[in-house]
Amino acid sequence: MDLKNESGSAIDISHLTVSYGPVPALLDVSLKIPKGKLVGIIGPNGSGKSTLIKAILGFVKPDLGKVNIFDQDASTAKGMVAYVPQRGAVDWDFPITVREVATMGRYGHRRWWQDMTRKDLRISDDALAKVRMSEFASRQIGQLSGGQQQRVFMARALAQKAEILLLDEPFSGVDAATENAILEVLQETREQGKTLCVVHHDLATAAEYFDYLILLKQRMFGFGPPSQILVPELLCQVYEGNMKVFAELANRTQSGESHE
Amino acid sequence: MNPVMEWLIDLQLEQGYLIRPLIVGTLISLVCSVVGCFIILRRMSFLADAIAHSMLAGVIGGYLIMKLVFSQETHLLGMLGGAILAGIATVAMIGFVTRVSRIKQDTAIGIMYTGIFALGALAVSIKSIGGFVHIDITHYIIGNVLAVSNEELWLLAVVSTIVLCSVILFFRPLQITSFDPVMAASIGIPVLAVDYLLTACTSLVVVSGVRVAGVILVVALIITPAASAYLLTDRLNRMLGISASIGILGYWLGFFLTIQIGSSPGPTIVVTMTMIFLLILLIAPRYGILADWIRRTNAVPQEVMEDVLGAILRAPGKNVPINEIVNTVASPNMRVRRAIRMLARKNLLKYDSDRVLLTERGHQEATRLVRAHRLWETYLIQTGEASERIHEKAHQLEHISDQKTVDYLDDKLGHPVRDPHGSEIPVDSVQASGTHHFRASMLRLGNRAEIQRLLPGGVGLGLSAGTEITALPRSDDGLTWNFQNIQGEMFAINHEQADAIIVRLISAN
Repeated sequence: MDLKNESGSAIDISHLTVSYGPVPALLDVSLKIPKGKLVGIIGPNGSGKSTLIKAILGFVKPDLGKVNIFDQDASTAKGMVAYVPQRGAVDWDFPITVREVATMGRYGHRRWWQDMTRKDLRISDDALAKVRMSEFASRQIGQLSGGQQQRVFMARALAQKAEILLLDEPFSGVDAATENAILEVLQETREQGKTLCVVHHDLATAAEYFDYLILLKQRMFGFGPPSQILVPELLCQVYEGNMKVFAELANRTQSGESHE
Repeated sequence: MNPVMEWLIDLQLEQGYLIRPLIVGTLISLVCSVVGCFIILRRMSFLADAIAHSMLAGVIGGYLIMKLVFSQETHLLGMLGGAILAGIATVAMIGFVTRVSRIKQDTAIGIMYTGIFALGALAVSIKSIGGFVHIDITHYIIGNVLAVSNEELWLLAVVSTIVLCSVILFFRPLQITSFDPVMAASIGIPVLAVDYLLTACTSLVVVSGVRVAGVILVVALIITPAASAYLLTDRLNRMLGISASIGILGYWLGFFLTIQIGSSPGPTIVVTMTMIFLLILLIAPRYGILADWIRRTNAVPQEVMEDVLGAILRAPGKNVPINEIVNTVASPNMRVRRAIRMLARKNLLKYDSDRVLLTERGHQEATRLVRAHRLWETYLIQTGEASERIHEKAHQLEHISDQKTVDYLDDKLGHPVRDPHGSEIPVDSVQASGTHHFRASMLRLGNRAEIQRLLPGGVGLGLSAGTEITALPRSDDGLTWNFQNIQGEMFAINHEQADAIIVRLISAN
């Protein structure tokens, strides 16, 4: 796998248009996400966030435009992109252990009739060690804390040798302690050089959590560091909300950065 | 005498005849319970039931076509093919209805399977058609494994082998598509094809299972052993093995019971399997009712442990007799003793046969709880709670003792020194450490502290960082804080100003 590319970007989307009917879900979206960044995708409900995720996974056929993953078309880049399921979408009672979930990351590297090799098992065990979950390897996944559960799926993505991780609302419906634990996991994964795209809905924490933000509502309204995106002018175009709330939010973003 | 009994007497005369149904049933139970594991994990039990019911129409359809078109009497493969087609048609119809309308899946299943089952029943009940059908429909409705022919035995053996091989070969795709279909698709597994494979396997095992239990009961052969296994293990590969063993065990027990008491085999086998399930539900080591009950009775509620700590701290003397604690804490004797053992394990106290002693950590924890209790009491007085209820109420509330809540209460009450009963409210344990920075308003009489920094509200009082101050008694009902600096000058400030001075404790008195 040759990860060198001229553009230096992990995900390169150009003029992406996707539609399910007369109204496009995504219209003319172009952006280059650099490698090794934690990127938040924000936007109101039905703004095409999930469609963007699906496009990066290569699940949807674009009407127009291209999605390239390290200079390779997304639909053929199977395995390079790992999808981390929403917490609510996982059956936590499923009879499966932590190690077995991590080993799933290797399934794509073997044909269905081939057994997992010792090397595969070693890779998945290494991945578990990287996310500090080795001691829980034989636990059933339901018997873990929220942060630990997130780590298991991170290990699976690492075992998959995926360079890009897509997460759909990892922070929805978790308590504050778990939210911190999950954020820590995301940051650690970024430190390992992975690129993470996270669908997020809480504007108040967006500035603090992400290196870059994508502001989406069918079209792309902005892509850049939080201080450039969380400005009232942009937010008001996308969210039909109260100017004052956004002004306050922007203040907080600015003052948050002046502290550093 | 009923015909089954006659059958059985004949069979017992010639033991050899028992071998065939035993082999057939073992094979069928094995594949049914293995496929059942995936069915219950994907929540497809009702769909499997639907496939089973729709088979009746398929069998009759297949029979009629073979007889009328090819003039073949009771052609086995024709009937099997008809059954499988009916199963697939049912699944397709259910999918169609849920896709094109707002009808949800459970309703669509209910409509389609009753409809197709009724179609079969309607067909046989018409005299002109029913006259053609020379098969015993009751065999299909309640099943009769004892009437299996050699031909059928071979057919079922082949079907079972195909299904079992598919499940073993495609174990990983089946596992991953059941657990996380999106991930499966993202690594290039054809999720839809795997779904079809499982549906086909389900149709095949249902068709086989009908020989044992009939269309109405066959779903039990599929899901009951699988559900029992699900309660016993946390691994899918083990679940398949355990499920198969339970399925075979249930079949054998039911089969021999049938011979002993001369009952109908299908219902007897299903009843046996249900009994096994109920037994496992009761005694399963981790997910059983009994295990759950034991866990709950053994667990010591946090409140009881906190009450024990409080009782030890309030008791006079350091070595407190266990009996005294048991008498003070309003909880069963056994539970209090268990709480003491749990606290000892957490290194909060030490105990011997009749006395307990708090460790340093235990003392801190107990002090924190007493502080919470007395602050709650003070707060309750302020909110106008009737004084005779205060202690009891504070006793419930003291378990809400997280740092933020207690700090809020303390600040709101103006950092009181004594509670309504006149007992001293212990100081926050972290402030005594000498490294922790806190507000001057929390200083107690005689505390010596060094000013670390001043917040905006504390500027202009002539104080600066590095100044050493000593707390004097408060005045104005505790609303004015009095301090003395190292030169002996005294100054009085209010709550807000005292809050704006951040200090570090040098000595307590």
